[in-house]
Order: sequence, then C-alpha cells, then structure tokens
Amino acid sequence: MSEIIVGILVGIGILLAIFGVLWTLLFTGMFVYAALFSTKNVENKGVEVAQREAETLQKFGRDPLSNIRKEYRQDGIDSGLVYANVVYGPSYWHLMIGWFGNIVGGQINILHKVISTGRALATQRLREQAELAGWDEVLNVRIDTSALAPISSPSRVKAVEIFAYGTGVKYKGSGNE
Amino acid sequence: MQHIVGGVIVVNTETIAGKVITKNLGVVGGSTVRAKNVGRDIFAGLKNIVGGELTAYTELLDESRNQAISRMIADATARGANAVINVRFATSAVTAGASELFAYGTAVVVE
Repeated sequence: MSEIIVGILVGIGILLAIFGVLWTLLFTGMFVYAALFSTKNVENKGVEVAQREAETLQKFGRDPLSNIRKEYRQDGIDSGLVYANVVYGPSYWHLMIGWFGNIVGGQINILHKVISTGRALATQRLREQAELAGWDEVLNVRIDTSALAPISSPSRVKAVEIFAYGTGVKYKGSGNE
Repeated sequence: MQHIVGGVIVVNTETIAGKVITKNLGVVGGSTVRAKNVGRDIFAGLKNIVGGELTAYTELLDESRNQAISRMIADATARGANAVINVRFATSAVTAGASELFAYGTAVVVE
C-alpha cells in the first residue's frame, strides 16, 4: 500500500520537474525571441496600421472620426453605436527596458511606441467598423484605456485594453441609404 | 449590424439624427464580470512574453461588452424605452484575470 503512495508522489514530482524544465526553456527561448524581434514587430505593426488608415481615409475622403458631441448637420437620417477594442501589451524585453527607465526617469520611448501602436490599431478598427456598417461619419468618439490586471497582482498578464466608441451617423443623399 | 439590438437605437450622443425625444425614462445600465479559462490564460501569458496583441483577451472583452450592452438594452426595454442615448462605458479590473465591464445610458422614447 505504502509503495503505491510513494509511487504516486514520485510520479507527481517527476511531472512537476518536467513542467519546470519545459517552462524554463520556453520562457528563456521566448524572452530571447522578444529581445531580438519584438521592437521590429511593433514597428511593422505600426506601418501596417498606417497603411490601413491611409486606405480608409482615401475611401471616406477625410477622417470619419471626430469627437464633436452633437450632430452639427440637420440632414442625418440614421444613427447608432459603433465600437472596437484591442488588448495590446509590451513584451517582457520592453518591460525590462521600462524598468531600467524607471530608475533613470524621463520618457520611456519604447513603451510609448507600444501603447501608441495599440491605440492606432483600436481607432483604425473603429474606422473599419464604421465603414462596414455604412456610416458616413462617427461623432463623439471616446477612447478608453484600462489596465487588464490590477497593479496588485504583478505576476499576471501585463497589457492594456484600448476601447474606442462613438456614434455613427448616416446623411441624406450620401449613397449609403 | 452591431448598433440596433431588438429594435432599440443605441447612441452615445445627446440627440438622435432625424428623431425627436419625447420622454425621459432615466438611467439604465448593464454590467458583467468575466474571466478567461486557465488554459487560454496560460497561452495568453506566453504570448505576453513576446508582446503585441493578445487576441484571446480582445475577443473575451468584446463578448463581455456585447453582453453588458444587451443587459442595458433589456433594462431599457423593460421600462418601455425604444432608444438609449448618451451611452458611456467603464472598465475596471476586479481581481487578476477578471474584468468588470459596465455600460450605462439614458433610456428615452423617440419618434
């Protein structure tokens, strides 16, 4: 009987050891990957979003988003809520740079770049949602940023959610009716 | 279409284009608290090391927000409203891995 219990305990111990070794290897590998490529990835994403933005601006003829609070034109015929979100986070490499930056003080360029890219992505998704729903314009745009995990739990996912929303409006004689 | 649910118009402006507000029925709201399951949390944790968008969480929060909005609309319908104006959203992290999403607005009758 006692042999079975010992066997189970040893089995659990071996499994935990394997998991630990795998995790260490995986974490190190991904951290190295992050150190080598994550800055490049963020830059590529920024370029891609800028391209999509340029395409949308060309389709609308101008930026469809604005944060004017009321309908300033009298010929609106339909309106409704439009929203888009993105969860975007810096890599552990960027967090480490940020940590060092915290000691020295001043602006932390890379974290700024990561959050800006996330925000550009969220607003671009809002434009694409507006285009999909056939709105001519989006009024009263708000952009909310919230941390995904509370600061009190440092071991959890480190990312921000950016949520953009506004009111889509359709105008008479715009061809979208 | 994501903007009209069950015949109720939802906007975050104070007026609705082409409509006249005839009756104010007060503030309505809807909220939800959601967490991802452990398996996808671990994958998101791995993705977090590399950085960039965490698609699993984007989808989770989108679903949750849709639920909060539909609860708000159910509240408005129960009061006999056919539109919700001046909608605002609030997000807060309750505990690790769980977020509360809250949507609120003013229920009105429009013609």
